[in-house]
Amino acid sequence: MEVFSDYECPSCRNLFEQTLRPMIADYVAAGKVYLVHRDFPLPMHKYGYEAARWLNAAARAGQFQNVEAALYDNQNAWAADGNIEKYVAGAMSSAEFKRVQIQMQGCAYPDAAVKPAAFALGGQTGQSCSLDTYIDQDRALGNKIPVQATPTYVITYKGTRLPAGSGLVSWPILKQFFDSLLSQ
Amino acid sequence: MSNEARRRWGRILLILGRLVLAAIFLFAAGAKMKPQAGMPWTAGSVKTSLSMFAMGVDSYQMLPPWAVSPFARLLPPFELLLGLWLLTGVALRISGLLSTVLICAFIIAMYSAYHRGLTISCGCFGPGAQIGPTDLIRDGLLFLPLALAVTIGAFLIRRKRGAPSLPESAPSVTHAD
Repeated sequence: MEVFSDYECPSCRNLFEQTLRPMIADYVAAGKVYLVHRDFPLPMHKYGYEAARWLNAAARAGQFQNVEAALYDNQNAWAADGNIEKYVAGAMSSAEFKRVQIQMQGCAYPDAAVKPAAFALGGQTGQSCSLDTYIDQDRALGNKIPVQATPTYVITYKGTRLPAGSGLVSWPILKQFFDSLLSQ
Repeated sequence: MSNEARRRWGRILLILGRLVLAAIFLFAAGAKMKPQAGMPWTAGSVKTSLSMFAMGVDSYQMLPPWAVSPFARLLPPFELLLGLWLLTGVALRISGLLSTVLICAFIIAMYSAYHRGLTISCGCFGPGAQIGPTDLIRDGLLFLPLALAVTIGAFLIRRKRGAPSLPESAPSVTHAD
């Protein structure tokens, strides 16, 4: 299951809290479902892209799951002041955070609301960051599906990509769908 | 145009209308029940498609969790039966009324989701694009008037059939000798 989301989007937070969290604890842990997170930061969200960079940096330091949970749990706080770093740091030990900071070198802006080149208007280019490659790859993939809103989820079963779904779906209903697929 | 010709055209339009309405419901039911790409037509694959439709129903966030699955399992077979019923033309007043009520319910659900800013797929004809004005216009300005026209037409024809007819030459006053 691939989930295209924006960390600043409230519906994505709801999907994570109500559906993905129990799913990770249950079906992902049991190896029944393979969950792939895809970044799809929307231009309307001030800090969505910056949050995606922190998440990618955390993933490279082996801290993705903790940071994802921390950012969704504190979405309202960092979406208000842009202080994403505080919650990333709080999700791990200081040694681990140093590794994440190394990944973020050249990526963290003094003003987190600055958008990268992909979002810049009028041909302006922003500062380049190596992590943007991963985000932009996911966005390109999302545009092909096409992702029209976040969250959008795509389920691939036996090599066949099923039609994309979007919005909130509760875990019991999604679980029922997985059960019917797995019983085929 | 004579009354007879008008009546004949009315009947033709009513038949066409109910056939189109039947096709809409049959297509909607088929799109929801057909197996996903690469899956054969089996009871299991239809169940999977209905489970996928349940995810779409759930995304509307209108039904309590316990009602989502039963509703998603019942609606497509109901649409299928309604489509077949409309095809036969039997008791058209009732099937027309049911179609009108169902389309009204769809419009209310879609408008509610759109109004709440939910970025979800309509799910009307299987998985598809996000709910937007196009879906509301399609259902509100095409499907609903069609269902209403069929229903009203069915009632009018029934009334005409039921009305007593007098021979034109019949005297209005009779004299008792």
